[in-house]
Amino acid sequence: MKTETTPAQADVSELDLVRQCQEGQTDAFDQLVTRYRTRVFAMIYNMVHNEQDAWDLAQESFVKAWKSIGRFKGKSSFYTWIYRIVMNVTIDWLRKRQIKAGGAEFDDAIELKEIDPASKTVPKADPLPHQRMQHQEIRSRIDKAIAQLSPEHRAVILMKEIEEMQYHEIAETLGCSIGTVMSRLFYARKKLQNSLRDVYENV
Amino acid sequence: MKTFEEKWTAWLDDQLSGPELEAFEASLPDLEAARAEKRDAKKLGSFLKRELAAQTLSNEEFFSHQLRERIARETEEDQPRTRSSWWTVPRLVWCGATALALFLLTSIVFLSEEQPAEQSDYLTQILNTRVDSTVNPNATISIFESNKTDNKVTVLWTEGLQSLPADYAAK
Repeated sequence: MKTETTPAQADVSELDLVRQCQEGQTDAFDQLVTRYRTRVFAMIYNMVHNEQDAWDLAQESFVKAWKSIGRFKGKSSFYTWIYRIVMNVTIDWLRKRQIKAGGAEFDDAIELKEIDPASKTVPKADPLPHQRMQHQEIRSRIDKAIAQLSPEHRAVILMKEIEEMQYHEIAETLGCSIGTVMSRLFYARKKLQNSLRDVYENV
Repeated sequence: MKTFEEKWTAWLDDQLSGPELEAFEASLPDLEAARAEKRDAKKLGSFLKRELAAQTLSNEEFFSHQLRERIARETEEDQPRTRSSWWTVPRLVWCGATALALFLLTSIVFLSEEQPAEQSDYLTQILNTRVDSTVNPNATISIFESNKTDNKVTVLWTEGLQSLPADYAAK
């Protein structure tokens, strides 16, 4: 799993940073946040499809991580541990939202946001208007298709396809068996293939 | 024992090998159709990766700044709760007992200074001898004196007295 690190930060191992955090050093936690903030935000955004909600949930996840870092024993990797927190926070939020919406499917209240064109990690020229419109349309179709999935299925497909996590890492993150992960992947893929086939066949 | 879904997923992700792979492919009714679906699933995977991985966090530094502030604020908010734990139950009991003892001590000292006027036995006896017992057979006379530093009061208490001795009024 790739993380955002400067060469100086890369010298400090993740476990050392975690130990420093456990001693109450907020600077060390800041470095861990810098490493994972973009990926955590992107993961949440892909699940909730709203920039502000994703921002708030990412903040919430990191605050929870800071508060419970004393309980991190190092049995799993830090990123699996932080992803577990992220997933718990996000899935809980999605469930509460579903209850508020009266058990409706996850597709009505989702606000579709354009990806910020001021992306700074890969400097590139702004797309042409028609390209941007096309991209928005594709993104909208993907978001709608993902919104049809349950929170657990969303989490599994995104961790597998975007984060390229292994089955056992996903299972550890979600606190379920590898068989459950594989089964959820099966159904999530089938649903997305049915919903998006015409899009990815023609892109 | 893996279910069909699990085996299918493992096959799509190239996680099956050796006899397990052969057995699974042999179990498929139409291997070519399955392979076409596998290609389709891989296409979906790379499409999702391409479209969704582009999502970035704008204002990264502001994100970290806001997080630092929130953590500092929440840590500060947690601290008074720790300090308030000084008021444990035994300490509260001790504080209550001490306050009660102080109150009682203060009350005793204060009341001892504010004693009611004492009855002057000596003056009462004198007055009683001066009252004529034939005229006032049931008369009793008492004198109370309060000897405060700034306020001296004498109270004459009479009962059953028909008349005062003539010379008493003069005194």
